[in-house]
Amino acid sequence: MSKLVTTGLTKAFSGLVAVNNVSFAMEEGEILGIIGPNGAGKTTFIHLVSGILMPTSGRIEFKGKDITYAPAHVRSRLGIARTYQLIHPLENLKVIENVMIGSVFSRDKSLKEARLSAEAICAELGLERLGRDTTQLSILEIKKMEIARALANEPEVLFLDEVMAGLNSDETRQIIATVQRIARERHMAVGVVEHVMGVIRELTQRVIVLEAGELIAEGPYETVSKNPRVIEAYLGGAA
Amino acid sequence: MKFKSSYLAVAILSAVVIAFPAFLGAYPLNVARSIMTYMALAISWDMLLRSGQISFGIAGLFGLGSYASALAVLRGGMDPFVSMIFAALLAGLVAFALGFAILRLRGMYFSITTLALMEIFRIIMQNLHDFSGGPEGVVIPAVIFNGSSTALYWLCLAGLFITIGVSWYFEKSKMHLALTAIRNDETSARSSGVDIFRYLLFAFVITSMLQGMMGAIQIQSYGFTTPDTAFDANFTLLPLAMALLGGIHSTMGPMAGAVLLGIASEWLKLKIPYGHLVVYGIIIIVVILFMPQGLVGLARRLMRGSDTKGRKAGATHE
Repeated sequence: MSKLVTTGLTKAFSGLVAVNNVSFAMEEGEILGIIGPNGAGKTTFIHLVSGILMPTSGRIEFKGKDITYAPAHVRSRLGIARTYQLIHPLENLKVIENVMIGSVFSRDKSLKEARLSAEAICAELGLERLGRDTTQLSILEIKKMEIARALANEPEVLFLDEVMAGLNSDETRQIIATVQRIARERHMAVGVVEHVMGVIRELTQRVIVLEAGELIAEGPYETVSKNPRVIEAYLGGAA
Repeated sequence: MKFKSSYLAVAILSAVVIAFPAFLGAYPLNVARSIMTYMALAISWDMLLRSGQISFGIAGLFGLGSYASALAVLRGGMDPFVSMIFAALLAGLVAFALGFAILRLRGMYFSITTLALMEIFRIIMQNLHDFSGGPEGVVIPAVIFNGSSTALYWLCLAGLFITIGVSWYFEKSKMHLALTAIRNDETSARSSGVDIFRYLLFAFVITSMLQGMMGAIQIQSYGFTTPDTAFDANFTLLPLAMALLGGIHSTMGPMAGAVLLGIASEWLKLKIPYGHLVVYGIIIIVVILFMPQGLVGLARRLMRGSDTKGRKAGATHE
């Protein structure tokens, strides 16, 4: 069974249709790329699937269960986690607490258990000195912290919204390797939004392409990148 | 090691405070009761503030507790002790029902609504002549403990200890993570599985119960109340000033603020009657402008400057 299925998913902000009739499925263990030009509706799509926004119409199923209008915290408990394109650190909590929060509330762990699993996840991501305030972190560390927080939810479906943005190539490579390893070990379905096509090519088995809210192509990166509609969407009529 | 010595300090301090009646007269004990009441209100106000919600409804729930306790004794013949529990439960129940409406609000909208509710409670009590005694207020048959200042002091202290205990639980349990996450970033909190409404409702109900309980203790200790005294705006403003002075988002801050402002106000009342409110105003302005973290925040910063050790998590790496 697919982990996550959307059928005719649509979100309209008064006149503007940000996500238009998108139907797709994510399978266990796959890393799926979600690409498209700026304003294509990628982030809105993740907002819909994670419950931050409610759809105008359509349907979302998680492991066969209808979650179309389930609140975000319920989806988090079910096993859908995400990071944000714009970072969201909790600045009055220590780094370790920022990570623990996922397993405390989504997995009902005690503070002690949550601390241990948060330490393990941070070690896996190479995030150190967890007693610091979030204001002392570099951008790479904040991104790692947000990935760690999402992983602390022990999700079955994980969305990474431009986590590589603002990182240099070494850092990007480091995150790619970690995401690949974790997806494999934990049998997660991972959805990755990224503008750097090198990352998408290296990381994903399959991509979906959004343009103006519509799903215009789907398949392995090599195929999709040769699709005339996709090239046109990225480069405009000139190509 | 540090852990144990802080427990020891708390135990010694508690013992000293419990023993106060042995070496203080009736007047200082009365002042202490007033300070402890404000302190409990300041702590309870701060507990909800940790979620980012600023309540101006303290006096409303305090007055509600006073009236619930007084009327339960007077009209229902309830035992005074039971009436205090009843008052706390009733305040909690009212907060629970109201919470469904007002905890959807944020920021200024929440604050103004709680302020309005406080006024509504007062107006209701003022106009239920036959039941509540109207503007003249209510008098209960007898003050609890026959008015023994020592016993009344311990009763008030018990209320304060309960409040501190609950606040400490809020600081040390997952409530701390939930409320801080809600205050910092609701989107992040939701994505991490925090049921925001549930935690806000819980915090609002619990803090309202504490405020109602303190109101009940107050009426049972004084034997009478009126709408204007039970719902006095000072029960909202002074706790707020104390928490701001001492330092918000902690148990220690409001406690320190209450001791300082409480003692200062007793002294000022003698020196410049009614002028003490002006001094309060000046203190609040100065604190907000120059030390938004309050006295405890200031002390913490000074200590961190001279000693960077002693942070629990990750201390080994530092």
